[in-house]
Amino acid sequence: MTQEGSNFKRGYDDPWPPVRGDYLVGDPNAGVAVATLASPLFVRAGSDLPPYMGAAIYGPCKTENLGVEKIVANVISNCNIRFLIISGVESKGHLPGNTLLALHRNGIDEQGRIIGSKGAIPFIQNLQPEAIRRFQRQVELIDCIGLEDMEEIERLVSKYNLLAEPYPEEPFLVVRRKAVLQEILMGEGDLFFGANVFMDTRAWQIAISG
Amino acid sequence: MNVAGVKFGGQPGELATVLCGTIFYQGHRIVENEEIGLFDHAAAERLVARQAELSEDTGCPAVLHIYARTHQAFLRYLDFAEEVWEGPFIIDSADSDTRARAASTVSELGYGDRAIYNSLSLATDEAEAQAISESEIDSAIVLAYNPGEPGVEGALRILETGGSVLEKGLIPLARELGIVNLLIDPGVVPMGSGAGASLRFSVVAKARLGLPVGSGIHNAVSAWPWLCKKEIGTRKCCDAAAAAMQLLAAGDYLLYGPIENSDFIFPAAALADILVAEAVRDLDIHPGEGHPLNRLV
Repeated sequence: MTQEGSNFKRGYDDPWPPVRGDYLVGDPNAGVAVATLASPLFVRAGSDLPPYMGAAIYGPCKTENLGVEKIVANVISNCNIRFLIISGVESKGHLPGNTLLALHRNGIDEQGRIIGSKGAIPFIQNLQPEAIRRFQRQVELIDCIGLEDMEEIERLVSKYNLLAEPYPEEPFLVVRRKAVLQEILMGEGDLFFGANVFMDTRAWQIAISG
Repeated sequence: MNVAGVKFGGQPGELATVLCGTIFYQGHRIVENEEIGLFDHAAAERLVARQAELSEDTGCPAVLHIYARTHQAFLRYLDFAEEVWEGPFIIDSADSDTRARAASTVSELGYGDRAIYNSLSLATDEAEAQAISESEIDSAIVLAYNPGEPGVEGALRILETGGSVLEKGLIPLARELGIVNLLIDPGVVPMGSGAGASLRFSVVAKARLGLPVGSGIHNAVSAWPWLCKKEIGTRKCCDAAAAAMQLLAAGDYLLYGPIENSDFIFPAAALADILVAEAVRDLDIHPGEGHPLNRLV
């Protein structure tokens, strides 16, 4: 997390958003983010102007695990964002929209499973529990699942932008969970893959030790 | 492992890689209505024929990977497959109910021995498991994706014991459900989220479990935003490179993505198969007559 200073006053650290993905950035000082689920980004016909004028960030979300994680990480790293509009059609089977709502409402269990989600594999693996709690506190979700009318979505962006006040804490930067280092025991081979599997490169054979 | 005459597995260099091209996938241009399964029949037939032709040409066996959004669509796709394809096929959907009903349908129609169920995974619930159990399908892809314990060890645990997220491992579960032919798939995540672990997992899983392994590594390529902005030739090169890397990492089969990609995936896979076969030539491993090594060089 950042220290109090100019970034705190601005509401986000550069570069923002911190997690790469399939999205477009609008105005980082805006108070609204838009997820379009499985619907393609709406482009204003005949115009070079980006859609959703006034949103901080907008883009699709097709998966109930990694996709949801990216939204959470990018939203809580910008205190200006206080509303997340969930629009577009659901990704069948994966149900990221349902999963976002469930995550915000119920959080996760000890295994990282999103409680109450109807998605296929609704797990959080790269966010610490505090990041989830921050997401729950910082933003209000606007459930517009199924909505693909661009004008209506833009109207909602304008409406909620007027209501948004910056979240009164520092931006929350997600720390990627470090993989547990595996201690590899030396054996006869000289290429090691973990799980007691090694390659004897002299014989060009994969073998299991122990 | 033999599914409807197509062999999977063996020592690296022994068997040609089985290549599975997907048809009727989400966003496939030939599909006019994915809810009810309306599609351009002639275009679909050309794609299946092209994959078969390349399979015959290279010696890499082909599998038709059928994706359906709904059961209604699946019925149409199955009718089509029955007309134009005699080999094994994969049944797949993002919707568990559609998958389960497809398992039942192929059994009723007598195609149980040609069908490969995609997939048994953490997402398999009781209803789906029961449908598989009651079906005549005896081949399935087992997805080792374990978001509760990322990495190679976690993927092995979900297969063997269920780890921290399942009461039972997916392999014993598959056996209980009557699956004889298990194809292991790590479940490739995007690059940056651990896609590379799939390669190491493939080597480890094949050595430790003694089962054929493969993956849909093209998903790592297609989910790479940086590459999406590049020209198509560049994207194809990366797809082919990823495929070859999976084969070098002990891959026995490849879910290579859109069936349109057969034109460059089959040659890339044949190349990888030849190089691997030549690498083990002096280890008393002899590829069969149909192997790309004996067919193309």
